[in-house]
Amino acid sequence: MAPPAHGRRLSETLFEAARPIWEAQLEHPFVRGIASGDLDPALFRRWVLQDYLYLKEFARVFAWAAAKTDSLETMSWYAMVLDLTLNTEMELHRQYAARFGFEPDELERETMWPTTRAYTDFLVRTAADGDMAELVAALLPCAWGYAYIGERLARAAPPADQRYADWIIQYASEEFQEASRWLQAEMDRLSMGATSEKRARLEELFVLSSRYEWQFWEMCWHGEEWSV
Amino acid sequence: MGFCADQLARLDKLWELMLRHPFLLETRDGTISDARFARWMQQDYLFVEAAVPFLTTLLHHAPPEHETPHREAIEALHEELDLFRERARTTGVELDVAEPAFICHAYIQFLLATAHARPYAEAYTVLYVAEKAYHESWRVVQAKIDPGSRWLPFVENWAGEAFASYVAYLEQELDRLASSASAEEQARMADLFELTVRYEIAFWELAMTGMEWPGLGESESVDPVTRGV
Repeated sequence: MAPPAHGRRLSETLFEAARPIWEAQLEHPFVRGIASGDLDPALFRRWVLQDYLYLKEFARVFAWAAAKTDSLETMSWYAMVLDLTLNTEMELHRQYAARFGFEPDELERETMWPTTRAYTDFLVRTAADGDMAELVAALLPCAWGYAYIGERLARAAPPADQRYADWIIQYASEEFQEASRWLQAEMDRLSMGATSEKRARLEELFVLSSRYEWQFWEMCWHGEEWSV
Repeated sequence: MGFCADQLARLDKLWELMLRHPFLLETRDGTISDARFARWMQQDYLFVEAAVPFLTTLLHHAPPEHETPHREAIEALHEELDLFRERARTTGVELDVAEPAFICHAYIQFLLATAHARPYAEAYTVLYVAEKAYHESWRVVQAKIDPGSRWLPFVENWAGEAFASYVAYLEQELDRLASSASAEEQARMADLFELTVRYEIAFWELAMTGMEWPGLGESESVDPVTRGV
């Protein structure tokens, strides 16, 4: 068995492994459209509807984390983020619905497209039958990725369309950045002393979730349906 | 009618699409290419491997009267894996080199997420539909396949009487579970019933075309994703 890699935090390794995918997300036409403010609102509507469904399942992953974690402090943190997801982030989606001119009821009527279904099933499955390190490795590309994209987009002049400017402000906010940093530190803590095999498994999960993140933009850009 | 018959009637067009899938018809007629059948073998082998933890999780949540049937079904899955390995040796198909294609991966995640996170009756719905779909699909092939076909052992496994009895038992039990479920629970079971049929069709489509994901178009962006993890 090869010795674990010492001297490098796992979060750094994960970032390097997924960097091409994350950079491709920044270059994705959907993300570029938010940055420029030129994104067709009909496409953004897809994102609001599908991400709303995604967040319901993402909240379940935080609930699994709270149930599995080993200290009161981390349990409290996951409970707090669960609350933020259900009652702040999903409320913002309901506000997007109003600002983009569709009924909040549509959020409840929408059904998952294939990528949303596969990604959320992957997360819930990993949360249920993986350990805490695996759970965090799988959920991190969403929490960290959105904070990363938000921060990168916020470096440029905001788009003229205030609705897209607010999207960038939301994910670039200190609240999201802090949550991202906390989870990265948690990933490092959970992987301390991990074998090289375990680190490879965590990297595999992290890269797969990163791919799903990229594919989520693809889904919203092109639209998606079941083959029959 | 019971829950299963109601759902099969509701989804009859979808079910028919599945039974008329070119993969089944070409296997039946002996015109399926070796490459396509090999792709199905590789992907279904991975799926059957994943069905073991699916059933194990179901067993963990099962009422006492379902424990023995689930244990026997897990044993049967191991026999199926042996069948795959034997056929692979005989036909020169490499099973161990394949990575799950996207549909295979997604279907496996769906099975396991449902078993872990949804009520027992919902996960049982997925089990029934997957097994019913396989039984009826391979019966289509059985109707006309050449008795000398090297794929016949697969056909006999899922189209045979023992598997038919298992599917009939699952149907009876799912009807019983549904009869004591609330209307909301039955609605969720119906959704999962339909989704499982869609995955079954997508799986035949994967075997036939090698497609990675239904409905996914070409992106203007550079695709950094090596799918099939």
